[in-house]
Amino acid sequence: MAAVPVEEAIAALSTFSLEDEQPEVQGPAVLVSTERGSTISPIEYSDVSAYRLSLTEDTKALNQLNTLIQDGKEMASVLYTYRSCVKALPQLPESMKHSQADLYLETYQVLDLEMSRLREIQRWQASAATKLAADMQRFSRPERRINGPTITHLWSMLKLLDVLVQLDHLKNAKASIPNDFSWYKRTFTQVSIQWPDTDSMREELDDLQVLIVFAVESLELDFALLFPERHMLLRVLPVLVVMATSSEKDSESLYKRNDPVIPAFPDLHLSPTAILKELSNYFQKHYLIVNHIGAIRAEHDDFAIRFASAMNQLLLLKSTDGADVEWCKEVKGNMYDMVVEGFQLLSRWTARVWEQCAWKFSRPCKDVGPSDSQELSSSYSDYEKVVRYNYSAEERKALVELVSYIKSVGSTMQRSDTLIADALWETIHAEVQDFVQNTLATMLRTTFKKKKDLSRILSDMRTLSADWMANTNKSDSEFQSLQHGGDESRGNFFYPRPVAPTAAQFLIYEVVSGGNLRKPGGLFGNSGSEIPVNDLKQLETFFYKLSFFLHILDYSATIATLTDLGFLWFREFYLESSRVIQFPIECSLPWMLVDHVLESQSAGLLESVLMPFDIYNDSAQHALVVLKQRFLYDEIEAEVDHCFDIFVTKLCEAIFTYYKSWSASELLDPSFLFALDNGEKYSIQPMRFTSLLKMTRVKLLGRTIDLRSLIAERMNKVFRENLEFLFDRFESQDLCAIVELEKLIDIIKHSHELLSKDLSIDPFSLMLNEMQENISLVSFSSRLASQIWSEMQSDFLPNFILCNTTQRFIRSSKVPLVPVQKPSVPHAKPNFYCGTQDLNSAHQSFARLHSGFFGISHMISLVKLLGSRSLPWLIRALLDHISNKIATLEPMITGLQETLPKSIGLLPFDGGVTGCMRLVKEQLSWGTKSELKAEVLRGIKEIGSVLYWMGLLDIVLRELDTTHFMQTAPWLGLLPGADGQMLSQNAGESPVVNLFKSATAAIVSNPRCPNPTSFYTMSKQAEAADLLYKANLNTGSVLEYALAFTSAALDKYCSKWSAAPKTGFIDITTSKDFYRIYSGLQIGYLEQSVQLQPNNHDMLGDSVAWGGCTIIYLLGQQLHFELFDFSYQILNVAEVEAASIMQTHKSPHSGQGWDSMLEAMKKVRRLNNHVFSMLKARCPLEDKMACAIKQSGAPLPRIKFENTVSAFETLPQKGT
Amino acid sequence: MARAGGITNAVNVGIAVQADWENREFISHISLNVRRLFEFLLQFEATTKSKLASLNEKLDTLERRLELLEVQVGTASANPSLFST
Repeated sequence: MAAVPVEEAIAALSTFSLEDEQPEVQGPAVLVSTERGSTISPIEYSDVSAYRLSLTEDTKALNQLNTLIQDGKEMASVLYTYRSCVKALPQLPESMKHSQADLYLETYQVLDLEMSRLREIQRWQASAATKLAADMQRFSRPERRINGPTITHLWSMLKLLDVLVQLDHLKNAKASIPNDFSWYKRTFTQVSIQWPDTDSMREELDDLQVLIVFAVESLELDFALLFPERHMLLRVLPVLVVMATSSEKDSESLYKRNDPVIPAFPDLHLSPTAILKELSNYFQKHYLIVNHIGAIRAEHDDFAIRFASAMNQLLLLKSTDGADVEWCKEVKGNMYDMVVEGFQLLSRWTARVWEQCAWKFSRPCKDVGPSDSQELSSSYSDYEKVVRYNYSAEERKALVELVSYIKSVGSTMQRSDTLIADALWETIHAEVQDFVQNTLATMLRTTFKKKKDLSRILSDMRTLSADWMANTNKSDSEFQSLQHGGDESRGNFFYPRPVAPTAAQFLIYEVVSGGNLRKPGGLFGNSGSEIPVNDLKQLETFFYKLSFFLHILDYSATIATLTDLGFLWFREFYLESSRVIQFPIECSLPWMLVDHVLESQSAGLLESVLMPFDIYNDSAQHALVVLKQRFLYDEIEAEVDHCFDIFVTKLCEAIFTYYKSWSASELLDPSFLFALDNGEKYSIQPMRFTSLLKMTRVKLLGRTIDLRSLIAERMNKVFRENLEFLFDRFESQDLCAIVELEKLIDIIKHSHELLSKDLSIDPFSLMLNEMQENISLVSFSSRLASQIWSEMQSDFLPNFILCNTTQRFIRSSKVPLVPVQKPSVPHAKPNFYCGTQDLNSAHQSFARLHSGFFGISHMISLVKLLGSRSLPWLIRALLDHISNKIATLEPMITGLQETLPKSIGLLPFDGGVTGCMRLVKEQLSWGTKSELKAEVLRGIKEIGSVLYWMGLLDIVLRELDTTHFMQTAPWLGLLPGADGQMLSQNAGESPVVNLFKSATAAIVSNPRCPNPTSFYTMSKQAEAADLLYKANLNTGSVLEYALAFTSAALDKYCSKWSAAPKTGFIDITTSKDFYRIYSGLQIGYLEQSVQLQPNNHDMLGDSVAWGGCTIIYLLGQQLHFELFDFSYQILNVAEVEAASIMQTHKSPHSGQGWDSMLEAMKKVRRLNNHVFSMLKARCPLEDKMACAIKQSGAPLPRIKFENTVSAFETLPQKGT
Repeated sequence: MARAGGITNAVNVGIAVQADWENREFISHISLNVRRLFEFLLQFEATTKSKLASLNEKLDTLERRLELLEVQVGTASANPSLFST
């Protein structure tokens, strides 16, 4: 097997397609570092001995110090996370006093374990103090001056001091330790552990000035790349100053530093000086992120662009072969500069967060929530004052923004780690070698020529760190050609090698370049004045650069340190002082930020909503790796679980509301909005949820969460809930609400459509069917259809009356006979209607227009909602209702027939209107059955209402059919004929079939066609579609169908209601046919309605006429009715009377009193005529009537029609 | 920087240092590539996860579809008489 070079193998991996559509809206959560961080633990300087340097003693001390620091930090975290266990100690009840001793023993054992840690800390403290003192002494001896402590050593010492200070501070701040400790003493007064103060070292530290000067200079030169180092310096300084009391002047000047608050622990701050409190306004400006966010934003944008361009350059460089060396160096150097700049930015930003945090802790909120009452404010815990109410909305926004900047820059840099690592190494290598081989060489030749000691050392250094052979890798020709040109001018030429120097080499550089340059006893201290300024400057520059190298080599570790924002969560100190187990999550800063983003509804912040969760990631990491406390991790985990649940819920709510409002505002009439003054109130701010909807793996505490599927799941649920709510709401209202229901369903459907573009959720029709309980294949009723039906049966038909002119049904002003029971209107959040309040009111005012009546628009909504699936079911139910009504009317009509007088003649003209009315009243007293009158009228009214309703339905369906026809006719090749018939365009097949057939033929004829069968199937399907659509074209009229059905239903009672005259001729006086009954009812009704003046004739509305006339017409009694109806006769009489009055010029008093009655009769005649003409048009009976007279002239009883009720069985039965 | 004996054999030390440079170049080369490999694996995992997630999404949809169809067929087959004619 041939060995494949590593590089090629790795490069081959990039041929895999690893596209990922997930946007980067989270920070880096996975950090992998193959090296041990050289700043944290620089491989213990084990290579120092290999170089056989005199630094051995130094490095040994360094290692010891580092170990001490490590231990100290661990102890500090033990102290910080220490929680009092006294509270958990059991108290013995009286009955068990005898075992008190056992309890004490047990308690002691428990506490002893805890206390052993404290003792350990004490021991460590003692050893650290001695070590530090010894170190100090060692380096303060005059003979050691020459190679006194290196910079690294100074740093280590400062770090150790810092740990000591922190421990001391922690011990004072945390009450739980003394608490437990006193308990410990009480249970077993054994050893009194005194906390030895750092004072114990004081006498040994007489040369503190070195440290102080170093610290001050480092601070002033902004030497520290990383903010933790800066904070450390700030923490240590005051202690140093206090200890070195000899230098009074120094201490004064130091206190004037403008950093009164220094972050020490996540929720614990140090305030070394209280002098500067009055300057708080100035500090506020300095510490609050809000005041800097503009500049930070600009920095971020600028950096992001330049970093990306540097990356692109580097990638370009990598993809070109044989690139120019100079260019190569420039690109890589640029990359290096960008990384340094990135680190500086990150450090500055994170330091800002730390500092604001500390500042906030030091200034608790004074007035807690002005809206809250005074007594409440006292009950707030300190932590709430310090965190929850201490951040204004602006500050939260700024913090979220800054956190996302830190995290996004961090993750960008983290991602490019392996890409740029070799470039960074090369740059560092080049810098170092340039210094060692060129700068130092020149200096050796000139400046140090005379100083034998120094030059020996320096040349040794060169030997140890120079990489003379770095140029041999390259091809000879190239090397030579370059060497020719550059050798003389540039000194030694070398190729950069992607290798970093070792720790010992760094130490060497540090010493050489002036590690102890600044102090009097330094390397060049004795001859300081003799070194030319130029050389000094070169040395200084290199030294300055050197301090960055280590951090850059520790690329990912540095990023991890700089982007670690976990401290925002920790609150051990406040937990203890508030004496609670844990704070509610409202007080938790990360959650406050998430909540703020969700609540603010700001489109810009929304994509950063996952960033605060990175704080949890960081703090969990910190708890596990640094603090090493399981219980802290558990608490964080519990909080994250909880928070994430709430977050998802809130997010879904926001998404749903947004999409609902979006669709609701789109569905508002745009021309109406345009005309409106405050139209922009109804337009919504666009929000970008798309990137969040793409998150399939949210990294949270090492878990990956598919946010997208969670959202989809919830969306499926909430859409269903919303539909359910809409149906509930409809069920609690009357039939008129159907327009509103349709509108709301339209909105939800449109929002579903909008959301489906970004998220795959269940199809809307499926959800609608599910909520309508309409899934079954064999059931045709749906929740909505049955609701409409029951509504019609119980409310609409009895209580609504028809107005023929407006074509509307309105609710009768009469108190209904049966009070309608309805569930109360369910309450819901605004997003279950149209989203926002404004849109709700807009849509509601539209819906209100339709809430008072039932007309065409309602019918359109009804047809749309029910569709062709449930509509036949409803029609069938209504037709059954008609036939039932007729069946119930039958005995009543028989009853009324019985009470009719034996014979009723034509009304005589001589009595005038008054006489006629009297006669009618006498004849139509109805005797005992008068109570049936109203009942029968109501029955007839309901039949009329149903028929009119069918008429409305017919109009709407016709409209739909026409639209449908317009769409399909061109495909089916149909032309509308003159008489409403369809004409086929050509005798052959319809265009759609032709089209598919010819397409199939053309495709199949191509020999390369892979799968002809599918095209055949397609053309077959076109034929099927053709058949189906053609069959659907001539749908009958619903109204005609209903009339035929009614007629068939009436046939059963034909003999009773339309008796064939025995004589064979029209029966005038003795007839008890239906028309006569109805005639009597009608005149009674008219009389009644006139008496109930004024304009109270809406008792039954116009549908009575529709019902009565339809029955009369279908029974073939229209002519009889028009001839013999009482009111018509009276109208005739009144006409004659009026004519005679006109002729005789009498005062028209005789007709007086009957004017309104006559008016009503005229009206009803007009209405009846309208109904009859409509019926003639829609259900012509003439030809059938014509055959009802024999050739001989003798009339026949009405012939039987072929249609019976059983002929209508094709409609689905109600109840299936 | 006074040292006890100094570097007695500068040439030897120089050769050793040079060899060390070369060794370290090899080491950093290998470690960098191992890191790249690791990075690739991470990225591979990430993309695979999101591909699986989208697959899962589709399967979910299909599953619900299928459930619906099952219910519909169930209601239909419960009334065989409807299909006898």
